[in-house]
Amino acid sequence: MLSTFLDHQWKAFWRSKNKGGTIATQLLIGFVVLYLLGVAIFLGIGLEGFITQIFPKKDVFEVFNGLILYYFAIDFLMRIQLQDLPTMSIVPYLHLRIPKRKIVNFLNVSALFSAFNVLPLFLFLPFCATAISGVYGPLTALMYVIAIFSLMIFNNYAALYVKRLSIQNLKLVPILLLCIVGLGLLEYFKIFSIAAISNEVFSFIADHPFAALGFTTFAVMMFVGNARYLRSNLYVEELSSSKEKKSSTDYPFLDRFGKVGALVALEIKLILRNKRSRSAVTMSLLLLFYGFLFYKKDVLDKDKLAFILFAAVFMTGNTISMYGQFMFGWQAAHFDGLMANKIDIKDFIRAKFLLFTLFSTFITLLSCLYGFMSWKILVVHCAAYFYNIGIGTVIVLYFATRNFKAIDISKGAAFNYQGVGASQWVLGIPYFLCPYLIFLPFSLTGHPYWGILALGLCGLAAFLTRGFWVDFLVKEFNKRKYKIAAGFREKS
Amino acid sequence: MILEISNLKKTYGDRTVVNIESLQINAGETVGIVGNNGAGKTTMFRMVLDLIRPTAGEIRSKGELVDRHDQWKNYTASYLDEGFLIDYLTSEEYFMFIGGLHEMTAAHVSDYLLQFQDFFNGEILNKGKYIRDFSKGNQNKIGIAASLMQNPELLILDEPFANLDPTTQIRLKTLIRSLKEERQMSTLISSHDLNHVTDVCDRIILMEKGLIIKDIHKTENTLSELEAYFAE
Repeated sequence: MLSTFLDHQWKAFWRSKNKGGTIATQLLIGFVVLYLLGVAIFLGIGLEGFITQIFPKKDVFEVFNGLILYYFAIDFLMRIQLQDLPTMSIVPYLHLRIPKRKIVNFLNVSALFSAFNVLPLFLFLPFCATAISGVYGPLTALMYVIAIFSLMIFNNYAALYVKRLSIQNLKLVPILLLCIVGLGLLEYFKIFSIAAISNEVFSFIADHPFAALGFTTFAVMMFVGNARYLRSNLYVEELSSSKEKKSSTDYPFLDRFGKVGALVALEIKLILRNKRSRSAVTMSLLLLFYGFLFYKKDVLDKDKLAFILFAAVFMTGNTISMYGQFMFGWQAAHFDGLMANKIDIKDFIRAKFLLFTLFSTFITLLSCLYGFMSWKILVVHCAAYFYNIGIGTVIVLYFATRNFKAIDISKGAAFNYQGVGASQWVLGIPYFLCPYLIFLPFSLTGHPYWGILALGLCGLAAFLTRGFWVDFLVKEFNKRKYKIAAGFREKS
Repeated sequence: MILEISNLKKTYGDRTVVNIESLQINAGETVGIVGNNGAGKTTMFRMVLDLIRPTAGEIRSKGELVDRHDQWKNYTASYLDEGFLIDYLTSEEYFMFIGGLHEMTAAHVSDYLLQFQDFFNGEILNKGKYIRDFSKGNQNKIGIAASLMQNPELLILDEPFANLDPTTQIRLKTLIRSLKEERQMSTLISSHDLNHVTDVCDRIILMEKGLIIKDIHKTENTLSELEAYFAE
């Protein structure tokens, strides 16, 4: 039975409608995974050498032992973020003559197919096989491997279990986050240290190898707990959606914009109530931290404005480019409805402009906190802001009229390449090149601040002539609207 | 004349899915379109609503080309499938949004929805659910109610009776009839249910493989005539 399920999954993958896209995505992910594996093997084999180089004064085994639980703590967080719950695929089997036990088994087994379950083996095995085996003997090395393997299995099912619980009970997520932040702070202030605990635990295993079976017990318990939970909650309804009462919301602040405001309110609801759009916007908020990478003291002191400009455009405009690149695919599911209803295309385009302006204004205000580092950042951000709302929005919307791919907004955004087409790849080039076309002539002739001013003025000019751009985009949109609607109807 | 179609053609590759030489719908007419799957009913509706570009021919609504003007959107309401619903809104939000497009205030909309109490049967409003979490039948109800709420002169519904429970089917027929009496609404309905269409419509159009092969005013023999055709 298990092999039948796997066979069906295999077919589902190869026969999916947007096969090209899925395969390309899988290839891309495959390469990333291969790369990570390569790095892991390289690190794993050279681990002994690296440790002695980085921590010359410390005992190699102490560092290695300290590393293990640390790795799995991070691994756990990553899994919660990235690992998928294999649930929806079982719907067609639930009513058939298949015992629940088998379906649960399938879910549990298919959960094992994850890169997270290969990485630690490559990372830790070589060290166990060489250094530990050499010093403590092969039995201890074997028990180390069993301990690491058990931790991996434990993490695998614990992450899925937590994810499943959090679907049913939304309050769990903030509580969990608080715990993690708390632990992180404790670690940061050196009140307690995962590394020290890890070192103690594994030193103990080095002395008493069979203690490693303790981890195995935990892993088995987690597996059994997870399986039991699944078995008693094997209802798609409960596995996939929360039963929280939904309420209607209004954004009175948008009322003053009339119909355009109503369309913006609609899109804000779209963003907040759907997984993919929500995570796309959250991601762009996280990218605000990008500035810490870019704004180094020496960059600021030496007036490397070209450098600052990139980060500024990227940060103040990332909501526009991250969310806008898939436009109007977000609305694919009800695009026909929008078109057949009494909505003026002009208002439709104006609403996009308004939404982008709100986005960018909000995020620019946040990014102004970097102003504490230097006034220069504020100036560049201000120019970048005008560029984004004036010119960037037009570029993004122009590409949007050439995007015919629907977005499935119910799936997460991380590693999700569904709906990615040529227009997304090309979009970045003009978006990030354009500011330099304006800036560089000035900066190369030795007046970088004039270049920033020119950029700001160009953006402002485009912003003030928005009526013209709206008309232009409406024309472009009308040229291709049937093609867009047809593309969106073809659900991927 | 509320709708005028001439030489309308839609082809995909070498397959012609719609080929209508001429079709006129008068104000106040209730027209039923019947035909097996693949007859081209939905494609024709989509072309009338300017969602698909015809390969050839033209569609005029009150004399204006639908793909050149937006005027028709002011008096045309439609519900073809769930793709017309905005599924992440609650039903109230959706009604407010659609009402807002027609300059209705919130009070106006809730007032209007009172008439639909029977039709909704207590299953649509104040449920605390997004539209995507409603059953298909109830989604259908939301779409139909939202289209009726727009006070259309031309109403286009694709298989409105499918997924509805018997009580609601009968209520929908009563609604369409009374709106026709009250304000001369024209209606285009496609359906696979011959009983319902012959019951509610005064003109029946039979399509097959994109062609109109019968265009008849309803008489008492129409139902048996249609049944005889489909039985072949």
